Amino acid sequence: MIKIKAKDVDVFYGKKQALFNISLDIEENQVTALIGPSGCGKSTFLRCLNRMNDVIDICSVKGEILINDFNINDKSCDVVRLREKIGMVFQKPNPFPKTLYENVSYGPTIHGMAQSKQEMDEIVETSLKKAALWEEVKDRLHEPGTGLSGGQQQRLCIARAISVRPEVILMDEPCSALDPIATAQIEELIDELKKEHTIIIVTHSMAQAARVSQNTGFFHLGQLIEHGSTDKIFKNPDNKKTQDYITGRFG
Amino acid sequence: MNLILFTFIVLLGFTSYYFGRKKAYTIQSTKKRLTALPQFYGYYLAIWCAIPAFIIFSLWAIFEPTIVKLLILSDYSNQGYLDDELNLLYEKSKALSRGQFTGEITPFIEASAEKYLSLRSVAQSSKVVIVLSAIIASVAYAYKRISSNSRTREPVEKFLNAVLFTASLAAILTTVGIVFSLIFQTIDFFKVIPLFDFVFGTHWYPAKAFVRDSSEALDPTMYSDTFGAVPIFAGTFFIAFIAMCVAIPIGLMSGIYLAEYASTKVRQYAKPLIEILAGIPTVVYGFFAALTVGPFLKELGTSMGLEVSAESALAAGGVMGIMIIPFISSLSDDVITSVPQSLRDGSYAMGATKSETIKRVIFPAALPGIVGSILLGVSRAIGETMIVVMASGLAANLTLNPLESTSTITAQIVVILIGDQAFGDPKTQAAFALGMSLFLVTLCLNIVALRVVKKYREKYE
Repeated sequence: MIKIKAKDVDVFYGKKQALFNISLDIEENQVTALIGPSGCGKSTFLRCLNRMNDVIDICSVKGEILINDFNINDKSCDVVRLREKIGMVFQKPNPFPKTLYENVSYGPTIHGMAQSKQEMDEIVETSLKKAALWEEVKDRLHEPGTGLSGGQQQRLCIARAISVRPEVILMDEPCSALDPIATAQIEELIDELKKEHTIIIVTHSMAQAARVSQNTGFFHLGQLIEHGSTDKIFKNPDNKKTQDYITGRFG
Repeated sequence: MNLILFTFIVLLGFTSYYFGRKKAYTIQSTKKRLTALPQFYGYYLAIWCAIPAFIIFSLWAIFEPTIVKLLILSDYSNQGYLDDELNLLYEKSKALSRGQFTGEITPFIEASAEKYLSLRSVAQSSKVVIVLSAIIASVAYAYKRISSNSRTREPVEKFLNAVLFTASLAAILTTVGIVFSLIFQTIDFFKVIPLFDFVFGTHWYPAKAFVRDSSEALDPTMYSDTFGAVPIFAGTFFIAFIAMCVAIPIGLMSGIYLAEYASTKVRQYAKPLIEILAGIPTVVYGFFAALTVGPFLKELGTSMGLEVSAESALAAGGVMGIMIIPFISSLSDDVITSVPQSLRDGSYAMGATKSETIKRVIFPAALPGIVGSILLGVSRAIGETMIVVMASGLAANLTLNPLESTSTITAQIVVILIGDQAFGDPKTQAAFALGMSLFLVTLCLNIVALRVVKKYREKYE
């Protein structure tokens, strides 16, 4: 089933066009990987999906992005509600300088999802459990989140993102700042999370894309060159550029 | 004369630099490898020019006046003058030699003045000869010594190190000197006025001490109830409190606006404009408070049936608050801007609005820095003098009514030290005691502020 449907998306930074005519369908409860060389626009596209580009003054987005058949670029779209449904995990772990508990309860608090302390405790516990962090931190929930290791911080950010039960999780190179062990943990986690969430992951590591994703899109110079099932893209791409990139001939 | 000599020495320095470098190039042209870049050879020679000049100049400045004085006074040594009279004679002849003497000219003084002049000219010319020959000798010695394998880079680096060290030492020694002069005068003050009376006395009336004739013996009992510092400490903190009530909300809100809401363009113009406020001399704020705000408040109060003094704590504190706004707004703008963008992104991505993000993420993250900026603002408010002197009166009332006039530590120091003062008088020493307590208060505040700011920095680096 199609969860997100992008139609003819153009993105401009001031006068410079960063994305050209992107049309891409994203399957529900699957992992879609966006790959491509640096500066090709994959992160920009990702940020279109929860309208994070609004934060950048000079950035403008054209075209339609339908999530559950609703165009999020429409004026009637409430960004707060949209971002509640579409969570995001960033390249560098960015826990708030607050306690672990406050980090996870942040989203549910601002969206008024818990009526009592007990409910909040439950949300925090399930989120941390889903992020595979609970066992490591359950005794120090009230210590600062910035005191964790890099991999733990990233899982904390994932817990924070899933605390509001988003339908989609956007991940912008979530493992690029992590060591191989922490990376393996996160990848395992992604596999688990796709049961309940649709996941879109931007990655520089082709191996990672091949390991975690079912679908892959290849971006180059602001254009979507090719997209399809990960198997096909990696084994038998239609486009010469894709072939070259995947075999490491450029990029 | 000294200026010409100095210019000449500087020229010599440049010349020796030139010769040093030239020699290095000559060595280089013989295909020998130098141990340092040619410039270092030049600097090396220039240093050999500067050091002897500096040493001789300093020695001269220290010893010349003493020696000249000894030589002149040796003429009178057997005539039974007292030390004080001799000093006076010496000063008179010095003044005469400069043509600034207006009193009766005796042959004695005239002779001394002539001798003084001739001694000075001998001293001057011998200084020139000695300095120049010392420089030439030392530069020549160094010039002969430098060769392809002599070390020049290390001495030059060491010299620079020493110069920079001296500069910072000068700043530190000045601070230490000021603190010590405060301490000794303060101790003297507390020998006459009991510490307890100073700290807990509620009556500050230093004018009473003016009445004393300095020939009278010092009687501590007459100062009871004169130097009770409670009213002025209370006044200081009260006015600072009023100032911070104005400065903290406005400064903080404008800081948040500039950092988070203002567009690049607005920020580009608004920030320098706000910082202009910090560049206005406090004396201008002072007469603004005294001539505009004070009378305005008085009229406003009268129209509402309140009794407002024209010199009210409210006027002084309010204007002082305006003065402090730019410090708080600028510093808090800086700390808020330095909160990493990734935290903002994280919060926005969770669906938080701008104000929620500021309230829940950015403000807590920036809080230590903001507290630091507020504490720096407080220590400015406590140390501010001119506005209080001009706008809040000089009578030390013990009051918590912002509409009456009060006085502060700084203003009282001004009152005490204006006009004639006698050293060793409790009245003068009171200024030192006040200065000492002010110093302690602001020192503590600054230490706390720096600690807090440092703690904040450690978090993100």
